[in-house]
This record gives sequence, structure tokens and C-alpha cells, in this order.
Amino acid sequence: MRKQFGHDAALLLVLLIMVAAFSIKVEGFLDWFNILDRARYWVVPGIIAVPMTFIIATSGIDLSVASILALCGIVFGMVFQQTNVAVAICAAVIVGSCAGAINGIVIGYLRVPPLVVTLATMALFRGLAMGLSKGAPFGGYPSGFTWISQGDLFSLPIGKTPAYVPTPILALLIVVIGGALIMRRTRIGRYTEHIGENEIAARFAAINVNWFKFGIYTACGALCGVAALFHTALYATAKADTAQGLELDVIACVVVGGTRISGGRASVTGTLLGLLIIGILRYGLDMAGVKSQYIIIFVGALLIVTAVFNEWVGARGERA
Amino acid sequence: MKTILNFRFWILDSRRAACATIVLLAALAATTGCQPSEPAKSDAPTSTTETTSNAATPAEPAAAKKLTIGVMPKLVGIPFFTATEKGAKEAGAELGVEVVFDGPPKNDVQLQVQMLETWIAKGFDAIAVAPNDPDAIAPVLEKARKRGIKVIAWDADAKKEARDFFVNQCTGASVAKALVDVMAEGAGPEAKYIIVTGSLTAANQNIWMAEMEKYRQEKYPNMKNLSETPKVSEEDPALATQVTADSLKAYPDLQGIFAITSVALPGASEALRKSGMADKVLLTGLTTPNSMKEYITDGTVKKFVLWNPVDLGYLAVHAAVASVKGELQPGATTFKAGRVGERSVLEGDQVILGDPIVFTKDNIAQFDF
Repeated sequence: MRKQFGHDAALLLVLLIMVAAFSIKVEGFLDWFNILDRARYWVVPGIIAVPMTFIIATSGIDLSVASILALCGIVFGMVFQQTNVAVAICAAVIVGSCAGAINGIVIGYLRVPPLVVTLATMALFRGLAMGLSKGAPFGGYPSGFTWISQGDLFSLPIGKTPAYVPTPILALLIVVIGGALIMRRTRIGRYTEHIGENEIAARFAAINVNWFKFGIYTACGALCGVAALFHTALYATAKADTAQGLELDVIACVVVGGTRISGGRASVTGTLLGLLIIGILRYGLDMAGVKSQYIIIFVGALLIVTAVFNEWVGARGERA
Repeated sequence: MKTILNFRFWILDSRRAACATIVLLAALAATTGCQPSEPAKSDAPTSTTETTSNAATPAEPAAAKKLTIGVMPKLVGIPFFTATEKGAKEAGAELGVEVVFDGPPKNDVQLQVQMLETWIAKGFDAIAVAPNDPDAIAPVLEKARKRGIKVIAWDADAKKEARDFFVNQCTGASVAKALVDVMAEGAGPEAKYIIVTGSLTAANQNIWMAEMEKYRQEKYPNMKNLSETPKVSEEDPALATQVTADSLKAYPDLQGIFAITSVALPGASEALRKSGMADKVLLTGLTTPNSMKEYITDGTVKKFVLWNPVDLGYLAVHAAVASVKGELQPGATTFKAGRVGERSVLEGDQVILGDPIVFTKDNIAQFDF
């Protein structure tokens, strides 16, 4: 518990230093209207980053999340055109779960390395989305639906103009708090770290590793389906080629948050802090006039630095 | 043992934090080192208008504030939009405003939305955008208008309530008439044709197709569209070449092809030249003359149509600035814009550039864009 607290405190410190540095260096950065409005865009990677934390903690990876999201978006759009929003929401989440279950079966029961499986399904699900939609976008949703991503909950009297708290933040908080409780307070969280630390030992300890892996990849798919709803509402359109490169942001959040890429150590609250750090980094660089094509260089660099660091910290811990 | 381990972790985490901080600060220093910094502003949230004036002209008093106009094409890096940039920058220099011309590397409305978010956050005075999708772009444009930013749609329209004005290159009817007349003249009034478009959501392309169909029914009722859904080329030259080559095989009695985007026509021309069917199939459409000079010279394409993109970019910036200054009000019927002169305004909010030009072997040398 104490170790986790120290880690999160360190991340919080990094975040505060970043905010301070950007505020001094970048004109117009510290505007609460802008920052809160930008937070709308952090919800989709944030929702997926929570199950990704569990997956990475078992020394797995899921590269197919962005493709599952695109597929669920297309299914949502197509079903919506035939029926209504409620049915379409169910369809998107079911399709997401099925896509995750495919990953889960191949990884959990057929024991194929997750990197290979999800690399393949990344292409597979994206291809399915392209094929189903034939490249056409699906739009025309009611404003009640787009409100889940575009709406505001209430205004905060900070700054000269009131800043609005965007609706989707609520969904992100629910997923993060739920994820953090599962990780810290239930057997699922303990098993996750056990499997990541030593899978063979976990099997000998009578943990049903196959079933467990199947479960977390399926849950990840389901949450990709949920994220797809927010993503579709945010742009009021579902497209097959959407959210390309989203997996980089999601994995970066988890790794910056202190979860070891080789497994064994996980923190959902750390992932949330990682999300904020990457969000602030992107927003700050954006405001500083760095083009979006170059911003991913910084995200990539940050990912490598923290991954190396996590491994180093972990290796030192194991030797001790 | 357990406590020692935890303690060790704690120490390492602090070290880790220090190291990460140094890396981040170095990155920040590298990226923002060249920006003018104003530390005094940083401790309080700044309002948008202040931000703009400071960002644009830090040294001058607020009265002489230089306007910042963001101009966003559907995508950057294709000749048509490069030509509009030339016109936009020209108008910016003429009017003494800062013109930021930037857009996504491919025709993706979500990338446009993300870039517009930044422009809104930076507090630009006006945004002129060529939307890839009128519905998907609407929420972000409405947000801009809520924050007092004037919004101009150009090249393709956005939803009416999401923008102040639309700078329209020509009415859809005049483009459609020019295209269908070229087809009827070259392939006969009973030509069997197909259409290659950019994307199924581009508002301008959909309007042209609807107008072409309307004009065809009126004037050439025996002309026939062989494919109800147009072929999609996604503003990608390779894809345009491929769908055209496929269509030449798929429709043996094809007599004509309309390629109605600036990327699709050169791509389609390449496919037609390779197939050696240029004397059987008449290809026409919309694009910039520089990209077509070789196909016009070797006779693959006889005639094609376009408005002047340099003037389009020029007019968009003029309309944006006039709208910020209040010189262009909703309901106006005419609008005077520098060297392009007086232009008509339809429906109170559509500034019209004019009739399209038909390019042929004889006049193509006069144009350079």
C-alpha cells in the first residue's frame, strides 16, 4: 500500500511540475475552460486504459483496442439506422465483448502470445469495420445521444469565463474507481499481479489462468464497446478508419502510470495519473504550436523512458 | 524484508520522478524555447481575447491588435489547397492580418476537429474551414461561435447553424451544367457514364452530383448513369487510379467518366491513359490545371472544369476579416473583396465566387496553379 502511495505521489509531482512549466512557458495554457474542454478527449483512451492496466499487469498486451473501437462504432451506427439508440448501444457492447472474447480464447486457451494475437486481430477487426461500412461514415444521432460526450454537467466559477465540466468525465470516473477497487480490494487484482509476476507459480497455486486471461481480454473488448459510444458521440459520426494510433496513447497511459510492461505490478490510479500526464503533455505542446504529427514523438519518447524506468525499478526490487 | 523492499521502492520512485521531470523539462525547453514567454500572465487564468492580442502582437497596444485568422483546408499537401493557401496568404498580407493556414495530412474530419479545438483554445478571431463532413464538424464550430469566434465555411458547406457565412466557389448548378455539357459535347447526348467522387460525405460533391442529375434529366434525358452509388476515391490518387481501372473493366459499354475532385481526375486520367481507351471513353471532371497539363497535351483528357482556387482562398480570408469587423452582416446581398471585386451573396449568407472556367488545350498554358 505504501509503495503504491509513494509511486502515485511521484507521478502527481511530475504532473504538477508539467502544469507549472507549461503555464510559465506557454501563453494561454492555464485556461480552465480549455483544459476542462480538452478533458473530453481523454475519456475514450481513459476508459480503455483501465482494462489495459489489468492486461499489461499479467504481462500481456492488447494492440487491437482501437480496431475493436472502430468496429463497435460502425456496428452502433449501422444498427442505429435500422432500429434505435438503445438497441444500438447493446449491439456495440456485445460486439466489443465478442471481439475481446476472440482475443481471450486464442490467448487464454490456445496459449498464443498476446502480441501476435492482438496484432492479427488489430488488422482483422479494422478490416471488418472497413468491409461492413464500405468506407462510409454513419451519423445522424439524436442530440440526447451526442450529449454523453459533448454535453456539460455544470459550470465552475474559475477563471474569468465560467468553465464547464464535461459529461463524459463522469463515465471515466466510474470506470476508474471501479477498476481501482477491483485491483486493490478483490481477488481479481491479486491474481492479476500473481500471473504477471510468475505465471507458472500462479498455475501451481490453482489459479485458473486460462479462464482469467479469457475474462480480462473479454472485459477489455466490452469496455472498448463502451468507449466506442463516447467516441461516436464526440464526433457525431462513426467511421471505420477512426482512432488510428489510439492503442499507443492507451498503452502509454498505463506504462507512464507505473504498471510494468513485463507484468507483476499494476496501478489503476497510476494509470489515471498517466492519462492526465499524457493529456496535459499533448495539450501543452499543442498550445505551444507543435504540430500534432510531431507530438507523438514526445508521447513515444515518454513511453520508452518510463518503460525502461519501470523495468529498472522492478529488477532492483526482485534482486533485493 | 517486506518493509525494506517497500522502502527501496519508495526511494527509487522519487529518483524516477526526478529523472522523468528532468526529461520533461528538457522537452519543454526544447519546444517552447523559441516562443516569447510572459511569466506575469501565468499565475492567473487569462481570458481568450487577452491571449489573442498578446500572442499576435506582444509589444503593441490593444488598440492596434492584429487579427488572427485560421484557414483550414480539407487536407494539406494537394495542389488545389496549396493554390488556395496562396490566395489566403495574399489576402492576409493585403488586409494586415495574421493568416494561419494548416490542416490534416488526410481528409479526416476528426483530425480537423482536434486542430480546431486548438485554434479555439488559442482564441483566433475567425476560423475559415473546408469541412470534410458537415455534421461531424458542427459541434466544434458551434463551440467556436459560442466563444465569439466568427466561422466561415469555404469549399464545402457546414451545417447552416454552425457557421456565419459560406464562401461558395460557384453554385452547384453552374458546376453541374459545365460538366454535363462537356460530357454531352464529347460523348453524345446518350452517353453512358459513371462518377468518381471523393467521399460520400463531402457536402459539395454530393450537391454537384444531385445538380448534375437534375440538369441531365432536363436537358439530356437519354444520358445514363451506370452506377447509382458513385465510386469513392477518398482524395487518394492511387485509389482513384484503381477504381477507374476497375470500372473500365467492369462496364464494357462505358462512354464517359466524371471525376469530380481535384485528386480523382488526375488519378482517373492515369488509369485511362494506361488502358489505351481514351478514344472510346470521355473523361472530364474538376481539378487544377497544373496536374492535368500532361494529360491534356497527350489527348487523354480534352476538357475539364474548375473555378480559380487562388481566388477562393483570397475571398475566404476577405469574408472572414469583414465578418469580424462587422462589414459583412447576415442578410447582405453583395460583398466587395479587394481585387476580385463585388460578389453576390445568396440567401443572405452565401458569398459566391463566380462561374467555373473550362480548361482546354488552348487555354491551359495561361494558368499556373
